[in-house]
Amino acid sequence: MKKFRYLLYKDYLLLRRDVAGLMLMFLMPSVLVILMTLLQQSTFHAITDASVPLLLVNNDQGELGRTIDKELGSSGIFRVDRQINGKTLSLEELEKEVASSRYTLGIYIPENTTIGIQRNVARYVLAAFSGEEVLPLLDSVGFTIFVDPTAKASFYTAIMSTLKERTQKIEFEYILKEISRQVKEISPIPISTEGISGQQVYIDIRDARLKGKNMIPTPVQHNVPAWSLFAVFFIVISLSGSIIRERQDGSFFRLLTMPCSYTDYLLSKAIVFTVVALIQFALIFLIGVFICPLLGLDSLHLGSSPFALVVLTFSSAVAAIGYGVAIGNIADTYHQSSVFGAISIVIMAAIGGVWIPTYIMSEPMKKIGMFSPMRWGLSGFMEVFLQDAGLKAVLPESGMMLLFGIVCFAIAVTFNYRRRLDV
Amino acid sequence: MENKFIIETVDLKKTYKGKLHPTLNGLNLRIPYGSLFGLLAPNGAGKTTAINVICGLRKYDSGKVFIEGYDLSRDLKAIKPLLGLVPQDIALYPTLTAYENLKIFGGLYGIEKPLLEKRIDQLLELFDLSASRNSYINRFSGGMKRRVNMVAGMLHAPGILILDEPTVGVDAQSRMMILEKLIEINRAGTTILFISHYLEEAEHICTEVAFMDNGTIICQGHPGDLIDAHKPCGSLESIYLKLTGKRMRDTQ
Repeated sequence: MKKFRYLLYKDYLLLRRDVAGLMLMFLMPSVLVILMTLLQQSTFHAITDASVPLLLVNNDQGELGRTIDKELGSSGIFRVDRQINGKTLSLEELEKEVASSRYTLGIYIPENTTIGIQRNVARYVLAAFSGEEVLPLLDSVGFTIFVDPTAKASFYTAIMSTLKERTQKIEFEYILKEISRQVKEISPIPISTEGISGQQVYIDIRDARLKGKNMIPTPVQHNVPAWSLFAVFFIVISLSGSIIRERQDGSFFRLLTMPCSYTDYLLSKAIVFTVVALIQFALIFLIGVFICPLLGLDSLHLGSSPFALVVLTFSSAVAAIGYGVAIGNIADTYHQSSVFGAISIVIMAAIGGVWIPTYIMSEPMKKIGMFSPMRWGLSGFMEVFLQDAGLKAVLPESGMMLLFGIVCFAIAVTFNYRRRLDV
Repeated sequence: MENKFIIETVDLKKTYKGKLHPTLNGLNLRIPYGSLFGLLAPNGAGKTTAINVICGLRKYDSGKVFIEGYDLSRDLKAIKPLLGLVPQDIALYPTLTAYENLKIFGGLYGIEKPLLEKRIDQLLELFDLSASRNSYINRFSGGMKRRVNMVAGMLHAPGILILDEPTVGVDAQSRMMILEKLIEINRAGTTILFISHYLEEAEHICTEVAFMDNGTIICQGHPGDLIDAHKPCGSLESIYLKLTGKRMRDTQ
């Protein structure tokens, strides 16, 4: 035990003198958490504050134009402008405004759109009631929507689908009204369509909640655990670098000629870096709890099970350190380990939902992400933070990370044994 | 019967994976107690492999290794404290001070703290390094690094000190000092296995030398006796070239 203390002392000193490594492990994630949370918070507000800028030019004096105007205004999605500097724009001017990205959407409703629809419906209904088999030719009626070319495809699809749904609803109501009017003329019994709703089936869409808790994380709830995991995995650079440097400068071989086993050597590194990882978690969580509110962000709610949190952080640390030890033993040079380590962590983070929350990922990406240890960790933290989950709920995630770490350690030991002893 | 060899290898064989020819091809190395033994060999002759095997850093295919009578295949734990290795590389932590390095290496040998402090002070004094005790290794000159490298292998007062090219890359003053200290340490009772390319150094300080080539010992004896036996060769270098040839030995 006394000898082992000297190994711990060595690894502690080496780490303390590695200023660049310490900056990478502590400063980088602290800055990243704050910056990313602030950035995502503003996007979050942009969406929730219903501020998709829309320029509406309504030249229709009829009911359709008025209804579209009213529906868009009350939808809660758009910030609707109707004029610029007191002037109503032409179709060309509207297109120019949207093309220059001042507005995300531009809608142009031409004159007499309502009348055109009414005429078409009247002709259609009349033809239907008079038993004509050939349907009448209808006037072309419609409006133009301009979309900012820089808007994302997913956003474009969502908006178009909403607009299509709303215009169809209005059209349907007109058809109903017109049928009702025509029927009134030929039927002795008055038929009223008042009160008939286009929505007979009511679909109640809600965000999934448990015990009143919202399952969609806020930027703080997502970023703090996500970047903590990212930071803990970035230990790989420093840890694998330390292993490779010792191997290259010969001090590792000197240690092995002493009464010191490879297991002791590895265990000492694992203990020192586990402590570092736990400090990283504590630091970033404290930033989430105390610093984020000072910057106008939410405060991080740490859940109601400290034990679950400790088990999750510990198993995340084991996974990260195991990975670092494996890379340190497999890579031949520091350059190899730092490049491979950094790239693999970035990939794990990307597919694991660190940068983009998993709930907005496509299905194939969600499936690929299942192989990232960061996903397991993040999923566990989300359960603790959002659902107040206890130890039992996070055991699968913790177990996966522990297993990953142990497998990595086993690979490292096997690789080292075979290479060092040439067996 | 008392064993007169502190290190003895018997028909030691080792072939690296993927290599056709053995690196150690029946090595029979016998190093007497108390000697300052020079192991002289061209590049690729197998001397580093031999040292790695003796220190338990590499597995061997067949043969036997005895250190102070202990069988390496069974008693590695007992053998480790008997050996002090001074590798050719500067096997020190460059971001730690000389004292921190020595404290760690000494501590790993299980030396009690008061004794360790005393040993560090004595050895730093012996190698004229006391003034640089608390300086970082990465600020040392090449010669100073070599000396600290040696001190690190001697802290636990090993019975056998193995030095792999201890004077490579140092100036004449440091080289002279290192050689003088080695003679001093040997006279105090430590057996030294000295590996070098500088044959005049071996001729000057060694009590016994062995020439190694192609993984085996080709000639062994006292330097003076060898020179007498290989007349008209007037030096170890001439004998070495005569025995090993003038062909270049580039290895990977």
